[in-house]
Amino acid sequence: MSAVGALAPCGRCASPLEPGDLRCAVCALPAPPIATAAAAVDHARVLRCRECNAAIAFSPAAQAPRCAFCGSVMEVEQPVDPVEEARIRVPFAVAREEASAALRTWLASRGWFAPRALADEAVLDSLAPLYWAAWIVDAQVAVTWTADSSAGSGRSAWAPHAGQFQTQCANLVIPASRGLTTSECSQLAGSYDLARAVPLEAARDGVAGEGSPIEGVIESFDAQRSAARALVHDAIECLAAIRAEPYIPGSRFRNVHVSCLVDAQVTERAALPAWVMAYRYRDKAYRAVIHGQRAGVVIGKAPLDATKIVFLILGGCAIVAIIAILWLTRHR
Amino acid sequence: MQFACEQCGASVDFAGVSTASCPYCASPSVVERAPAPGRALPSFVLAFTSDEARARTTLGSFLGRRRWFSDGAITRAQVSALRGVYVPAYLYSAVARTTYSASIGEHYEETEETTSTDSEGKTSRSTRTVTRTEHCPLAGLHVGYVTDVVVSGSAGLGDNELQRVEPFDLRQLRRHAPAIISGWIAEDFARDQAACLERSRTEAMDSIGARLRRFMPGDSHSDLTWSTRLEWEAMEPILVPMWIAAARYHEDKPPLRVVINGQTGAVHGEIPISWLRVVLAVLLVAGLGVAIYVLTRHGR
Repeated sequence: MSAVGALAPCGRCASPLEPGDLRCAVCALPAPPIATAAAAVDHARVLRCRECNAAIAFSPAAQAPRCAFCGSVMEVEQPVDPVEEARIRVPFAVAREEASAALRTWLASRGWFAPRALADEAVLDSLAPLYWAAWIVDAQVAVTWTADSSAGSGRSAWAPHAGQFQTQCANLVIPASRGLTTSECSQLAGSYDLARAVPLEAARDGVAGEGSPIEGVIESFDAQRSAARALVHDAIECLAAIRAEPYIPGSRFRNVHVSCLVDAQVTERAALPAWVMAYRYRDKAYRAVIHGQRAGVVIGKAPLDATKIVFLILGGCAIVAIIAILWLTRHR
Repeated sequence: MQFACEQCGASVDFAGVSTASCPYCASPSVVERAPAPGRALPSFVLAFTSDEARARTTLGSFLGRRRWFSDGAITRAQVSALRGVYVPAYLYSAVARTTYSASIGEHYEETEETTSTDSEGKTSRSTRTVTRTEHCPLAGLHVGYVTDVVVSGSAGLGDNELQRVEPFDLRQLRRHAPAIISGWIAEDFARDQAACLERSRTEAMDSIGARLRRFMPGDSHSDLTWSTRLEWEAMEPILVPMWIAAARYHEDKPPLRVVINGQTGAVHGEIPISWLRVVLAVLLVAGLGVAIYVLTRHGR
């Protein structure tokens, strides 16, 4: 994956800096200063309004120097914290017809509890292509961990353990979607072929990337850069805690704590394809999400056949009653 | 250092500050200085987000708050000066590698048998469950970045006062430009850089200690000791916005200094204790204690 922006990476953790960054987002090392011509001698200067030439002062309300006489505001560099926007897009590989067929196959394989007529009677209400928002992170992570485990325990059931390991996050998909649930996103996330990603502009300009001409809605990130970085950091720590589990000795563990040193973190903002379907079965609406690259991955809710469930419960009760009667007659 | 005002020609004194206003025409001037060895020039600035009226409201509600043991005159104090000052500070960050050792407490439950004898001399036995703690040694490594440590570089405002109104929202950092500080007092860096580095390291160690306490497994821990190697240290000179006020509450006493974070509005002042009120409270409690003792004795 290519580095974001064209700035030199951070000297301390080798993570790429983005335009507008004054400090590294991962380790907080200040960015190298912009070279300016140094003043040769000390001198005092009155900053003047360009409109009326009066002396101006910084105004907290305007967050910029403002002239007290004519009210004009001088433009100065502002802190940069833009709302995140997708830069790359993974194209759809599943066509509309394939998605529709995948839903029928999925409905037909819902098991014994689903109504028998589900696949035939379900009516497709809508089938919309959606590019959901996600961060894709690559990083080298040094992890130190502590936990309680059953290994080496004495009178207590737990004994403390600690350790460290190196791990790599490669194409870690962190959902930023509001439209899809976290559970839907995490089930979809693992199956994307990110090598097929193309720049987002390729779709907007109408240039056919590697993919199909499907133009789905591109979901917005709904998070500013600073909030996004905190979410990404939390996701890396969660992953580190899961990856620490095999290192913990013993059969049971609890209280897993991790502390991470992240190196060379590259975060890409991606739009990932999915078909969002709404279908109706006997006047009730249900939703299913189909992976945009693999038609076999379908996540959703299917109705249950109430009659079958009632019969099962009654049958279960009848079996229990028969066993009880038999047991009582034998032991009398 | 003195300069003639560009507006009206009056003399403006820049002693220990890099901005000043002309006493005659109120033109705000900014000194641009040539880089010199040993003199820190700010790289970043956190701009003021509150104006004087808001600072005055914050100050008023801080002084007006009723406190049990403070001098009552504080609520009637007169604010003699309120000034917005860009205070010099250093922003420190580093990579921290820590080796630690601790005794980790793991709880377990035990059933205990107790024997009790009642007033008639009958002995009865009962069991109860008690929670006990087993202590196990643990040693290991902890790695992480220490970021956002801010220490004062000012002669007038110490670290303790600065810490009381932290944190600052460092996402709002801007690169230093004379325009951002124009019209406001910006103090020059006055404290020794080496001393500030030591102070930053101490604060970094404190933050690692707090993190280590959360990092420990088990139900409890004790004897936590650690040794930290700080690598890749960076210390950047910055300016932080502060409102500084002097409130006179008594003619014979020095004015009370109150500092307000110019970005978040956090406020701090060392409110003097009224010893008279403390003594009265102690006497009241003691009097109540005696009264209860006397009443209970008479009651028997």
